Amino acid sequence: MYRYDEFDLDVVQSRVKQFRGQVERRLAGRITEDQFKPLRLQNGLYLQLHAYMLRVAVPYGTLSSKQMRQLAMIADKYDRGYGHITTRQNMQFNWPELTDVPDILQDLADVEMHAFQTSGNCIRNVTSDPYAGAAGEEIEDPRPTAELLRQWSTIHPEFAFLPRKFKIAVTASKQDRAVIRAHDIGIEIVRNDTGEVGYHVIVGGGLGRTPIIGVTLREFLPREELLPYLEAVMRVYNRFGRRDNKYKARIKILVQETGIEDFKAQVDAEYATLEPSDIAVSPEEVARITAYFAPPEFEALSDVNVEVNETRKSDSAFNDWVENNVATHKQAGYAIVNISLKSPELAPGDITSDQMRSVADLADSYSFGELRSTHQQNLVLPHVKQADLPALYKALVEKDIHAANIGLITDIICCPGMDFCALATARSIPLSQAITERFLDPARQKAIGEMQIKISGCINACGHHHVGHIGILGLEKAGVEFYQIKLGGDSSENAAVGDVTGKGFSHDETVDAIEKMVDFYISKREEGERFIDAYRRLGMDAFKEVLYGTA
Amino acid sequence: MSLKHKGKGPQALTANNLREGFVVWLTKDMTWSADYEDVFLSEDEAVIEKMQAQGEVDDHANLITGVYFIDVDPATGLPARYRERFRVKGPSYDTAAYLAQKGTK
Repeated sequence: MYRYDEFDLDVVQSRVKQFRGQVERRLAGRITEDQFKPLRLQNGLYLQLHAYMLRVAVPYGTLSSKQMRQLAMIADKYDRGYGHITTRQNMQFNWPELTDVPDILQDLADVEMHAFQTSGNCIRNVTSDPYAGAAGEEIEDPRPTAELLRQWSTIHPEFAFLPRKFKIAVTASKQDRAVIRAHDIGIEIVRNDTGEVGYHVIVGGGLGRTPIIGVTLREFLPREELLPYLEAVMRVYNRFGRRDNKYKARIKILVQETGIEDFKAQVDAEYATLEPSDIAVSPEEVARITAYFAPPEFEALSDVNVEVNETRKSDSAFNDWVENNVATHKQAGYAIVNISLKSPELAPGDITSDQMRSVADLADSYSFGELRSTHQQNLVLPHVKQADLPALYKALVEKDIHAANIGLITDIICCPGMDFCALATARSIPLSQAITERFLDPARQKAIGEMQIKISGCINACGHHHVGHIGILGLEKAGVEFYQIKLGGDSSENAAVGDVTGKGFSHDETVDAIEKMVDFYISKREEGERFIDAYRRLGMDAFKEVLYGTA
Repeated sequence: MSLKHKGKGPQALTANNLREGFVVWLTKDMTWSADYEDVFLSEDEAVIEKMQAQGEVDDHANLITGVYFIDVDPATGLPARYRERFRVKGPSYDTAAYLAQKGTK
């Protein structure tokens, strides 16, 4: 894992001190709320529907066990005993008091964490593949690149007041687990024909009220050009992005209005004015950062562990968990373990302080002290010995974080919705819980197979509903919630925005509607077809008929 | 949000208290309560002006932030807007409530 150097430490510590002073001045009335608001937002502190909310950055979703324990401590000491994993791999606390926030930021700084750039019109926390450093198919660990971007974008003075927020994701695998095509910039680490490693740069993707799948800006960008080239992109956006209209201010609108070819020409023209060596970092610095992400000391083991196979045969619950939650590791004898935060009792992505401490202990015992958060609002233990799987599963059962539903119908992405969010138009948590309740039977979930339901409580789409196989958008009219359904969205490397089925449904009708579509899919599916595949083959009209009957 | 009310029917004044961030409403003795039971309602323009003045004073005194008027449904006594009813009732689901019920964390 990356460790702060003296510059990181200094920046984070001085920022805590600065914010403490800002809070003191606000409470004493020496600065007004209008003056204070941008300052608190620059430190991840929002004022939500019922209380303040603090969004803590988890750069590229990587956490140490020590950091997770500190988050548990913060949840207990200053909040209400839990945290919430967001769709940008961060952790939110829903109930902090303003007077405590400087102390919280100090406690975060003590474990090399902070809350900068989790809000505001700046380059937000860089996200990445939660399987980074463990996925067999990856070209290299994407995190050194993500870390380089973090360092470059942190408090970058030129990009602190962009037309709108700016989100970057990095992956190094063909299989996209970071939704790079729904980001302002998506970066795919690729190898060209000559075997050289570089970057496929995608621009202008995004969800929100105008969902757009990003397009290729550069098929292959040489590694050393990354920062100067992105700087050129940011400069073009900073200059031409629509500051006149908040709803048209994201780079996706600029790219659409300009056209990708002209946009590319503008970037190239800007790039030509830069002195790349002033911006690019030296190979030595890249090597220094990369060294922090060296693989842990794996033991020389072989795959196909007899003990695990025996346990799988005798314990069907364990077998289901291995099938759904465990992924292939690049190192023989190891596995990637997903810990589902989608139990029927808690809101999707919520984790109690006890559970945080448990997963921290499990990371120490079984995964070199390392954890990942995912945009799907789950956790990952990236490096687990296959032989340890039965013991790990037993420990997860004891802590009630053993749901074997990764990638299944109850593994729902869900924003906080009207229960917490000041922007929401409808609730999303109760709907996710009702859907989970309806499909609770593990055998039924297994029979349905891979399914991604994503729920947003307003058009800002934090719940990624545009790219759900089934996407649900919560709206409200005259005090009554209703839900619009989208079908055919895809967050993977085959990214697609779903289409609206038609008239919305009440809360209860929505659960019924999903069940009807699922039953229809099962009755019509061909061998090996997932819901999304069947939808693509059968088409919207077939599903409309299921939902609304014939006209 | 404009502090000046533009609504219809009984008006209440709401804000968040600055230090804790929790939702509060103006009471009949012109103080702030986190309990909606204590809310003060008025349709009298002169009284509403007094409420507004109190809101401005307390905003200036750094007791509260984000102060604004809301419409209240005379039939139910609850805020007319759906969103405001959530500010009264709190989250319909909160993991904190689940933990309290379980008696653990």
